[in-house]
Amino acid sequence: MEDLGHRELAFLQFGEHMMIRHIRFMDEVSLRDHLIHETPAHVYYSSAYYKEPQAPDMNKKGWCGADLVFDVDADHIPTMCKSDHDKWKCLECGTEGAGFPPESCPSCGKKRIETTTWVCEKCLDVTKNEVFKLLDEYLIPDFGISLNDVEICFSGHRGYHLHILTESLRGLASDGRREVADYVRGVGLDQKLHGFMVLNRNGPLIGPDIRDGGWRGRIARSIYTYISRCSVEDLKTVIGSGSAADTLCRNKDRILGGITKSPPSWVGLRGVGIERLNRIARASVKDILCNIDERVTLDIKRLIRYPNSLHGKSGLKASRITYNDLESFEPLSDAVAFKDGEIKVYVREAPRVRIGDHEIGPLKEAEVVVPKALGLYLVCKGAAEPRA
Amino acid sequence: MREMLAREDLAKYPFLRKASSFIGGYGLTLKDLAAPEYSGIVKRAVERVRDSIEGRKIVTDWKDPETEILAYPLALAFAYGLKAGWVIRRFATAESKRCYELLKMEDGQKLIEVAEDGFGWKLEPIEMNVEGKRFDFMLGVTEYLEVAPQFHSANWKLVNRYILRGRVHLKQSEVARLLSESVKNKIVKRAMEEEVRKFEVPEAFGPYLEEVMRLVEKKRKFYDDEAPVGLVEEAKPPCIMAMISDLAAGKSLSHMARFTITTFMINVGENVDNVLRLFSKVADFDEEKARYQIEHIAGRIGSKTKYAPPKCDVLKSYGLCVGANALCERVRHPLQYYKIRAREIARGAAKAQGGRKAA
Repeated sequence: MEDLGHRELAFLQFGEHMMIRHIRFMDEVSLRDHLIHETPAHVYYSSAYYKEPQAPDMNKKGWCGADLVFDVDADHIPTMCKSDHDKWKCLECGTEGAGFPPESCPSCGKKRIETTTWVCEKCLDVTKNEVFKLLDEYLIPDFGISLNDVEICFSGHRGYHLHILTESLRGLASDGRREVADYVRGVGLDQKLHGFMVLNRNGPLIGPDIRDGGWRGRIARSIYTYISRCSVEDLKTVIGSGSAADTLCRNKDRILGGITKSPPSWVGLRGVGIERLNRIARASVKDILCNIDERVTLDIKRLIRYPNSLHGKSGLKASRITYNDLESFEPLSDAVAFKDGEIKVYVREAPRVRIGDHEIGPLKEAEVVVPKALGLYLVCKGAAEPRA
Repeated sequence: MREMLAREDLAKYPFLRKASSFIGGYGLTLKDLAAPEYSGIVKRAVERVRDSIEGRKIVTDWKDPETEILAYPLALAFAYGLKAGWVIRRFATAESKRCYELLKMEDGQKLIEVAEDGFGWKLEPIEMNVEGKRFDFMLGVTEYLEVAPQFHSANWKLVNRYILRGRVHLKQSEVARLLSESVKNKIVKRAMEEEVRKFEVPEAFGPYLEEVMRLVEKKRKFYDDEAPVGLVEEAKPPCIMAMISDLAAGKSLSHMARFTITTFMINVGENVDNVLRLFSKVADFDEEKARYQIEHIAGRIGSKTKYAPPKCDVLKSYGLCVGANALCERVRHPLQYYKIRAREIARGAAKAQGGRKAA
C-alpha cells in the first residue's frame, strides 16, 4: 500500500451498521494482525493522504492529496444478462420485474424501487472492458498516465476499482476531479468545439482528423465507424429525416473516403447540416463513453476497499491485478479465497450462480451441499443460511 | 535562452516572487513606508485601491517601475486592512483584469517565466495548427484544473479541450485568462488566512486613507444589499441549519421549508446547482422538477419581484423556527441574521453570538 502511514483505515464488522473509522497503521504487519484478530466484514482505506489520518475531526486530519479513483460497477451498466439474474420491485404498489430497474414504476409512477442484484461472468466481463476502455482510450493517451502508477483491483463483488497514483494528480480538488470524470463520460461534450464548423457562410464544412488525439480524433473516428455500420433506419431515427438518411447512405463510400483523407474532407456531410451532424456525433460516441460511478471520482476523501481484502457481501477477494493479467482474470474463479472444503446451506432464492468450477441454481427454498466459496457467497449475499 | 525579467516586468506583474525579493532588497517594513519620502508610493497604493472600488481600470504606470512595484503590496495591505470582503474582491478583480490585458500580448518567453515564478506552472510553447485551430502553449492538466472549473462556459470544460499526454493545448489569450484568474484567487484566498484576518493598518497611514475609508462607507451601503457570493457556512441561522441537516438525512421537507431554504440560498448568492445538490438526497427527488422550481425562484432575482425567505414570525407559525439563540433575539429575518453574522466572521470576530449551539 502506497504510504500506508498517511491513510485512514476503516472497518465494518459483521452485523454492524456503523463503521469504525479514524484508524492509522504505520505498517502492514500491524494491519494484518488487526485483521486476523478482529475479522471485519469489510476493510477500507482512504484514497486521501493525511498528515494525521487518525484525527476524528475531518478538518483536522490535514488533507495533503488523494489518489485519482475510478469505480466501474456492473450495477450501473445496462447489460443483456441482467434480465436473467436481477429483479426489481416497486415498494409502493408491489409491481415486480426482471432486469435493469426502471427510473419509476411503470404501474404507479413512484420512485421507491427495491432491487435484488446478482452478477455473472457476463456482467463482470462488460465491466472489465470498461476498465480497458478507461485506460487504453483515455487515461493513457490523453492524460499521459503511466501504467506504473495504475492499480487495478477487483472490487470483490460487482466490478473494478482503478487507483491512479500519479503524483502530479494528487492535488486535484473535487471540481477538478469532476472535470476528469466528465471527460471520460463525455458529459458536456460539444462537437462544435472539437473542430466542426462551416467556414464562411456557405463555405466548406471542416472537421477533425481521425488521426487527431483527444476528443477530436475520437469524435472523428466514432462518426466514421458509425456511418460505416449504420442502417438507413438507424440513421433516420437519429437525424429525423428519411430523405437525408437515404442520401447519406447512398453516398456512404464517398463520405467515408473523405473523412480518412489527410487533411480530412467532411464535404460529403455538408448537406446533412450542422444540427443533424451533431446528432450523429452524439449517437456515434455512445459506445466509447465510460460508465463510471462519478461520485467516487469526485470524492477527495473517499473510503475505498482495501486491496486484497475480503468483501463481506461475497466472501471473495478484492484482488489487485496487473494490467497484463487483467485480460485473463476471471473474478468468479481467481478471486476465490476459500479454496477447500464444503458447507451445507439452505438457499431461500438464487438465480444461476457460478463460483470457481461449481455452478448451482436457479434455486428456491432448497438445502444443498456446495464448495465453501460458493456457499459463503450465497450466505454473504443474504440469499442463504448455513446449516449444520 | 532565458530572458531575465526586467524591472518593468516586475511592475507589470508585482505578484511574482521576484517582485517580492526585489522589494525585500529595500529592507523596508510596512511602517517605514509611512515616512514622508515614500508619500509617492503611498499615494499610488491608495489610488489603486480607490480605482478598484470605483470600478475604474487600473493602468500600469511605466514611468516609475519602482513605485509601481512597491505600491502593490502596500495597496494589498490597505485592501485587506479595510476588512470588507467586497473591497478585497473588487481589488482582486481589477488587478486580474489589468494582468490579463498585459499577459494577452506578452512575449512568449516572458509569459512562461511569469507562469513559473508566479504559480509554479510549467508552460510549454508550441506552434500547432489543428484543422483551423491554433495553439500556442501546453499546460499540465492539474494546473489547468486549478482554475478552469471556475469558468462555467462550455469551452473551458476539460471535455472540450484538446489534451494529449496530460497536457492541455491553449491559445495565448486563454493562458492569460487562466493566469490572471489565478492572481485573483490568490488575493482572495489570502484574505482568509489568520494572519491577514488579524492585520490592522498602522495608524501612521491614517491621513492617506481617510478619503478611501469615506468612499468605502459610502459604497458599503450599496454593497451590503449584496450579500457575499456563496454561503458563509458558520453564518447560517439555526432554522436554516436544521433544514439543511434534515435534507442531508434524506428527510422530506414541507413546501414552506423548501421555499425558505431555496430563497435563502439564492439570496446569499448560491448558484442553482449548489441549491439543487442540497435536495438530492431526498427520496422523491425529481431533478428536472426541482431545477425548474429553483431556477424560477432564482430567475426573479434582479427583476422587480424579489423572492425572499419568509420572516421569523412566519417561520414560527409554520413550525420552522427551531429555537432562538441570542442573535436571533435581535433580528426579525433569517437574512438579517446571516448578514450580521457573516460580517462578524469577516471581521474575524471570535466572539460567538448565541447561547445555544445550533444544529
